[in-house]
Amino acid sequence: SSSRRMKSTAPRSTLRKIIKNHKPQLRLAANVDLLAWRFYFTFKKACPVVIHLNFLLFLHRLAEEARTNAFEKKSKIIKPEHTVSAAKVL
Amino acid sequence: PLQLLQSKAVPKRLQTSQKKPREPQVPMSLIKEIFRHFVKMPVTRDAFKIVEKCSHRYFKQLSDDLEAYSHHAGRKTVEMADLEVLMRRQGLVTDKMPLNVLIERYLPLEYRKLLIPIAVSGNKVIPCK
Repeated sequence: SSSRRMKSTAPRSTLRKIIKNHKPQLRLAANVDLLAWRFYFTFKKACPVVIHLNFLLFLHRLAEEARTNAFEKKSKIIKPEHTVSAAKVL
Repeated sequence: PLQLLQSKAVPKRLQTSQKKPREPQVPMSLIKEIFRHFVKMPVTRDAFKIVEKCSHRYFKQLSDDLEAYSHHAGRKTVEMADLEVLMRRQGLVTDKMPLNVLIERYLPLEYRKLLIPIAVSGNKVIPCK
């Protein structure tokens, strides 16, 4: 699957809903729609996208750790225990 | 060899008339796709279940952190600044690795445009759509 590009569109509304579910009273700065010229202003409006970025990076780290664990155990495939110990490191 | 064990044909679920209110979650297919992209190795089905569980816990933790940061700043709204602080603490954003670089490296063009107005020839700046 490395040949095709990873789909990296963010499930933005889902990300919002997840946060909302954990923290009903917490608001995420509104996204998009408006034209934003200033850098800071644009930034402020893009929370869910950056949450998505953070999630991508989290999965990246998890994957790297799991891979390292699998290599250490001389395993050619990622097994549950590799991900479990990867998660413990993170 | 593992793929032989997995049945391709997934029975279609019947449309249930009364949907249970489910906890919102990132679709498993997306989590799988992203993880597979990064790990570049075969992954067992049970290992994916662990990844899913970790993702769940990740969002719980993220919510707690974002709440703490915005609360600390005396706001009720999570803003970019909170996320940047969080990512600094996670060690993802550093002086050598600014947020912009991460955005450029990981996000598709449409989101990059959203986050970073692109300077084109002259002093024109293209805003997000």
